[in-house]
Amino acid sequence: MENIIRQHAEQQFAQELEELKKQDTGSRPPNWVLSPQGVVSYLMGTKLKNGFEVSPKYIGNKRLMEIAVATLTTDRALLLYGLPGTAKSWVSEHLAAAISGTSALIVQGTAGTSEESIRYGWNYARLLAEGPSENALVETPVMRAMKEGKIARIEELTRMGSDVQDTLITILSEKTLPVPELNTEIQAVKGFNVIATANNRDKGVNELSGALKRRFNTVILPLPDSIEEEMDIVKRRVESLGKAMDIPSEIPALQEIKRIVTIFRELRNGLTMDGKTKVKVPSGTLSTAEAISVMNSGMAMAAYFGDGSIKAADLAAGVIGSVIKDPVQDKIIWQEYLETVVKQRDDWKDIYRACRDQGF
Amino acid sequence: MAIHLLGIRHHGPGSARNVKRYLEKVKPDIILLEGPPEADALLKWASHEHMRPPVAILAYVPDNLQKALFYPFAEFSPEWQAILYSIENKIPLRFMDLPVAHKLAIEENIEENKKETIPEEPPIEEKDPFLYLAQIAGYEDAEKWWENNFENRSNNDNIFDSVNEAVTALRENTIVEEKKSERYREAWMRKVIKQAEKEMFNDIAVVCGAWHVPALQNMPSQKDDTELLKGLPKVKVECTWVPWTYSRLSFTSGYGAGINSPGWYHHIWNTKKDVSVKWLTKVARLFRKNQIDVSSAHIIETVRLAETVSYLRGYSKPGLDELNEATRSVMCMGEDILMSLIHKELIVSPKIGAVPIESPKPPLQVDIEKIQKQLRLPLTEEEKEIVLDLREERDMQKSIFLHRLSLLGIKWGVKRSVSGKGTFKEAWILHWDPAFSIDIIDRGIWGNSVEEAANNFLVSRASQENSLSVITSVLEDSLLSDLPIATQALLSRIDSLAAASSDVMQLMAALPSLVNALRYGNVRKTDTEILSVIVDSIIARIFISLPSACLSVDEDAAQQLLDLFFSLNDSVSLLQNEAQLNDWYKTLFAIAENKNSSSLVAGYATRLIYDYKLLDSEKLATAFGLALSPAVEYSHAASWLEGFLKGSGTILLIDDALWGLINNWVNTLQDDHFIQVLPLLRRTFSQYSNPERRKLGEKAKGSGVTTTSVISSSSNFDHDNGMLAVPVILELLGIKTETNLL
Repeated sequence: MENIIRQHAEQQFAQELEELKKQDTGSRPPNWVLSPQGVVSYLMGTKLKNGFEVSPKYIGNKRLMEIAVATLTTDRALLLYGLPGTAKSWVSEHLAAAISGTSALIVQGTAGTSEESIRYGWNYARLLAEGPSENALVETPVMRAMKEGKIARIEELTRMGSDVQDTLITILSEKTLPVPELNTEIQAVKGFNVIATANNRDKGVNELSGALKRRFNTVILPLPDSIEEEMDIVKRRVESLGKAMDIPSEIPALQEIKRIVTIFRELRNGLTMDGKTKVKVPSGTLSTAEAISVMNSGMAMAAYFGDGSIKAADLAAGVIGSVIKDPVQDKIIWQEYLETVVKQRDDWKDIYRACRDQGF
Repeated sequence: MAIHLLGIRHHGPGSARNVKRYLEKVKPDIILLEGPPEADALLKWASHEHMRPPVAILAYVPDNLQKALFYPFAEFSPEWQAILYSIENKIPLRFMDLPVAHKLAIEENIEENKKETIPEEPPIEEKDPFLYLAQIAGYEDAEKWWENNFENRSNNDNIFDSVNEAVTALRENTIVEEKKSERYREAWMRKVIKQAEKEMFNDIAVVCGAWHVPALQNMPSQKDDTELLKGLPKVKVECTWVPWTYSRLSFTSGYGAGINSPGWYHHIWNTKKDVSVKWLTKVARLFRKNQIDVSSAHIIETVRLAETVSYLRGYSKPGLDELNEATRSVMCMGEDILMSLIHKELIVSPKIGAVPIESPKPPLQVDIEKIQKQLRLPLTEEEKEIVLDLREERDMQKSIFLHRLSLLGIKWGVKRSVSGKGTFKEAWILHWDPAFSIDIIDRGIWGNSVEEAANNFLVSRASQENSLSVITSVLEDSLLSDLPIATQALLSRIDSLAAASSDVMQLMAALPSLVNALRYGNVRKTDTEILSVIVDSIIARIFISLPSACLSVDEDAAQQLLDLFFSLNDSVSLLQNEAQLNDWYKTLFAIAENKNSSSLVAGYATRLIYDYKLLDSEKLATAFGLALSPAVEYSHAASWLEGFLKGSGTILLIDDALWGLINNWVNTLQDDHFIQVLPLLRRTFSQYSNPERRKLGEKAKGSGVTTTSVISSSSNFDHDNGMLAVPVILELLGIKTETNLL
């Protein structure tokens, strides 16, 4: 376990889940580990009666999480929708961990995802040797989730081809997966449901068909409302990732986080925080997740190439990398921002210099 | 003898239901209701067959209309239900709040005192006291807490006792700074209750905002109250019923803060069972009406999600928040855009009330309602567009009515221009705002009917206004509103102002709207004889003094004059009076030929003369040569040119002689002179349209040779067929070919 880079949510937060389970008095839907209220508490964080502190996993609107959890208790599936980096996969993982005790039943949607990876595949050696039989069947995560009454996760649903997407229709509406080759079917056990994620600003996606749309309740995860909320998210994630990656450097000061989040928010909203200056908006999404990764790479730079404490120079490369996605347009936008906004701020001189040193 | 204290939330449908049920149970012999006592006499109208809530009692100070208070009632207001109960059961109902007469007078005093004293420290942010209870119960919002605990419950026994207890605890334990006006109000309420007791009523039901209940329960000695209420200031107040709208219910009123979701309350008041299902069906129907596909299955799923979420949150049934969130998630793909449609159409809902015509109202209001009924122009909350055909008698009347209202400042209808329909059509956008009732009372000082008020209003304006151009635009309104008396007054005012005016520019500015009026007058069958006399006399005055007005004016004034010239020319040509036109020509010649005239105006005058074909091209060339000759200062020449070329440069494209003159003139300019006049020339040419400028540029470049554009052949051009036509075309063009092209 020690050597694993990243643990599943249910491993990392095993103790929290255990304590919640002990304290949870609400009634549980069949095959759920926690009651719906318990799941919401797990996501939003709470203090249990015995003083145990459950950390918040999602920082934002509680009502959205309530809708998400309530959806999973009905027979509709949940679609988490939003910009890249708005914690869709993160929420999906924690929901699955808290409801089914496992977040590992996952299918990654890509343009190459085939029907076999959603329904079932065949072990061709067996198929040739023994002919069609249950033994020759290769189960997919979705099929396993149906059999065990757990939550299956589908990442980036809209990246799959439409025909592949539509194989979900029978599974979601009839809760059954026919296997015509064996003249049999898998009927889903209570507790089965699907959480899919999709992002709405990507190119080359396949829109969901009307029939499939109708099987999903949609929750749009927004970008964080306030700078405080966003700083909180970045801080928590940077801390926990730093720990997980064993990066031997100090946790960045709040001041540093604030500057990065400010840059990201200003460029994203096209307006400076004081609301006085307009700023051009670059083509990248500049999500919170990217701010987190800038902080992380800064920490790594400081640890291995610096003296262990984060300097502006350690962050500059990361910021520039996430802002400039289009080498021509975005570069101009960034330079304008640097000269008109960053340069004017007295206590930002180090960042300005660091960015100029990078050749921008 | 018993006093029943019914603590309610204003406009709470749950409270309304409880009040109704409670009244039916205890059968009181009098009801005391929080509201303005001045309006007691208005109560009997509540059950009138033409009374349709939402309506409001408007209490106003007749000689100071800035001071007014509205007390709105919806069908689902507990106050309204109490009133209906009292009428049905023939028991007396009295309003028991502090009279508006005192309330407004006290406010006035406070405001005056404020002016005198030093500015106080910034007020501490007030916290809704109910928020304390809500937060203890784990709610973020006091409204939501109240709704779930008192409005939305199924078991309502002893509800008023619980309300009473909760508020008593709150008032004992929280430090809410008690305002003096609140103390007056509660003292007055106690006074009214005591009065009722004295009159030997046995069961007294008191319906008031929950907050006041404890203060009415523990009666202090009567002496204190009497002491407190002694010598309160007073103003004169009148009351009337006015129609109200649901969107206005969300505003602050005499009952304090407004409500956010009147449409939703309307729904829960009128729906006994399956509130969520029926609501979501309405939502689905609304979506379908707007071409958004929503199936019954969607409704079912939404209901289920809303119910699950409300269970998750620990509520007994879904509230509006839960329904909205479920709708967004199931029907709207998580997007907020469609939710705004629901908000406008259902949650607030465009509903407007009605008040019986016979109920006591200011006379002007009565007249307006009468005409609205006659002309079939019902009040609507939504914007509605009507197109009037002025040849139809009824439409004509409508137009006159709307014009009269709008000149009185009651902006119910806003006129919109209709394109391409001539002067017979008029389009109006109608949008009634309940706040108009105050405007109507305000304009009541001018008269008791719309016509009278509009006439008097304009007559008084006529006597006060000194600017000729303002008066003439008012005259236009007056003619459109068919107000002969006002028109007479305005005309005689215009006549005297025009006679006294030495400023020809003012006369010129006034003319276009007079001429317009003359023209509309024909459509509207009004007597325009006097008007045309006045127009004639003004034109005559202008012609006489115009040439001298054009002498030695500076550049800005010349520019202004030029604009007026433009519209003057329009007006004169619109009137088509031959004698006048002849005078106009003479005036133009006088201006053009006087070399002391402003060169800009002189240039324009020359152009007009040329346009009227009074100058042949030879004479024009002479005029051009004179104006552009080297003896004339370059800047003058340039501005003459600007005047001449105002509006269109096409003449330069067509007339090669003129083109040559200008071309020569530019060529003879020395470099530094050219730099001097360049801005002027640029200003002249920059007014032309793009193609015109391009053509001019081409002409200048090719020194007079116009280029023809070449049409590129399309891909399916039949070359052989085309060749057949070539000889004929060549012959037509007079080009002889030696070689055979074919």
